[in-house]
Amino acid sequence: MGLGFVVGVVGVVILSHAAYSTIQYRSLLKIMEEEFSGPPMNVVVELLLGLVLCMWAALTVPGNFLSIKLDTDENRMVSLPGNLDFMIFNHRGKVFSSEMDMKLKI
Amino acid sequence: MAGHNDSSVSEKKSSQAVDDLPTFSVENMQNNMKVIYYSRTFLSIIGGVIAGILGFTGFAGFIFYFLIMAITSVGLMAKAKFSVHSYFDSWNRIILDGFLGGLLSFVLFWTFAYDIVHIF
Repeated sequence: MGLGFVVGVVGVVILSHAAYSTIQYRSLLKIMEEEFSGPPMNVVVELLLGLVLCMWAALTVPGNFLSIKLDTDENRMVSLPGNLDFMIFNHRGKVFSSEMDMKLKI
Repeated sequence: MAGHNDSSVSEKKSSQAVDDLPTFSVENMQNNMKVIYYSRTFLSIIGGVIAGILGFTGFAGFIFYFLIMAITSVGLMAKAKFSVHSYFDSWNRIILDGFLGGLLSFVLFWTFAYDIVHIF
């Protein structure tokens, strides 16, 4: 989370620097009275670098995908207490005094 | 005879009920969709800024958007380890969802960056 966020911020900073370089390049062209045909090479390289960094950040920061299959390891234990039919209050375990009961008595 | 018919009808009903039940975890599905929306929105904004700085006008910008979204789809597939059906219920979720909403953000930031860099 933290690393991906930092990488995204670095990518945005690189993009803003590329924008600033392009503004300077345009003003230079205005002085030299030439037409703008395309951004200079270093700006293109910066844009590609920023795109790659932001792509990496966008794919890692929002979190991981969770499996939607019900029979995977992480989903089995979650879905059982969610079903109220499987809640059991009256069973032989209550004969033994558990730590929960001790806490309640105190 | 009647009882047999009843049982067959009830079997049918129960099988239909089984068919109606979702056979995947809806909460995890919504979590995955949220992740996809975040990724697409952020990359639409970034793509818009890049298209504006590069000075794309007209149709080239939209082609650039399609390119960005295609790369994003491939990246999301790689994030799902190329087993899309264990994280989503169909391919459309990973390829198409969030496309139009991202297009609006893209156009907004495209014009924004183009104005700042090339006009002012």
